[in-house]
Amino acid sequence: MKLENFLQVIEVYGADSARWPENLREDLEAFLSKNQSVRALLSEYSQLEQSLDKIAIPDFPGLETRVLNQALPLRQQSLTVKLISWLVPTEKFGANLWRSAIAACLPLVFGIVLGNYYSFGISSEVDEYDYWEDELAMIALTDISESEV
Amino acid sequence: MTDEELMRAVCNGEQFAYQTIVKQHLTSISHYAFRILGNQKDSEDITQETFLKLWINAEKWQPEKAKLSTWLHRIAHNLCIDYLRKHGSIQTLENIEEGEDSIENLRDWQESHEISETRTQQDQILKNAINNLPENQRSALALCHYSGFSHKDAAAIMNVSVKALESAITRAKRSLRKQLRDTNNNKGEDTTASSPHM
Repeated sequence: MKLENFLQVIEVYGADSARWPENLREDLEAFLSKNQSVRALLSEYSQLEQSLDKIAIPDFPGLETRVLNQALPLRQQSLTVKLISWLVPTEKFGANLWRSAIAACLPLVFGIVLGNYYSFGISSEVDEYDYWEDELAMIALTDISESEV
Repeated sequence: MTDEELMRAVCNGEQFAYQTIVKQHLTSISHYAFRILGNQKDSEDITQETFLKLWINAEKWQPEKAKLSTWLHRIAHNLCIDYLRKHGSIQTLENIEEGEDSIENLRDWQESHEISETRTQQDQILKNAINNLPENQRSALALCHYSGFSHKDAAAIMNVSVKALESAITRAKRSLRKQLRDTNNNKGEDTTASSPHM
């Protein structure tokens, strides 16, 4: 380990040994323990970092209100995005699950309605007779006609 | 809510998500802008514009590529760079009239924390030294030392390689160390006599 390498590490990673790279830490600490002038150098960098930490940042009173209240342009949403956002809302997710349930039931309701109004080409002989009594009468007539013959 | 959920909500135009993100990141963004620009008024303007850009460009954020805080700092960084290019150099608290209140706030803070005159002078020298650093060194120092970003994230924010970022940090610290050392030598406090000369 050379002084130059040591210096590079403390400049890049800081004077705190906890932040030094794992693979170099042992070598760095050994180098540090052997050399008094290196310890003085580390102390100097440590002092610099402490001074940097002490530089105050002023408060920004009213900035949060200003940013929250700034006029935001309207966001244009596509129909798909709107539909997905209605079905799977991001806020109060549990409270709005009924939307997904309703959406899931829609095909079932649609099928029932469609099935009630359209036969889809399936004919039934039952449709030819209004009442079962008529059907019996017709069967009876058939029997008579056959016996007469 | 996760950052992804919040950003999806912002994409849907939901203001509560925007407000949540502002509350989470306002301090770090405003402090970063202040460390780059050196004055309160412009830092506030940049912070406001950063969040406006977040609202407008929310779809562009790619969670698999960068964390939200990294992406926001990148927006703020680019705005600061544009500002500095437009205005030439940084305008510190000391040379901007609108910053008078901020200086007073800072002095009050210092008095309340019983900072000695010497300490305050040294802080002021260090502050001026930071403001005199080239922009890339100041950004590297602000991101890595103050904001605590990893070298990889800081390099992504500055759009440079990790090696270039580390070089900028090295140069910044050498420069600041030299300034502090010169100041101490001028005051006759030669505390670095035993340290090696680099």
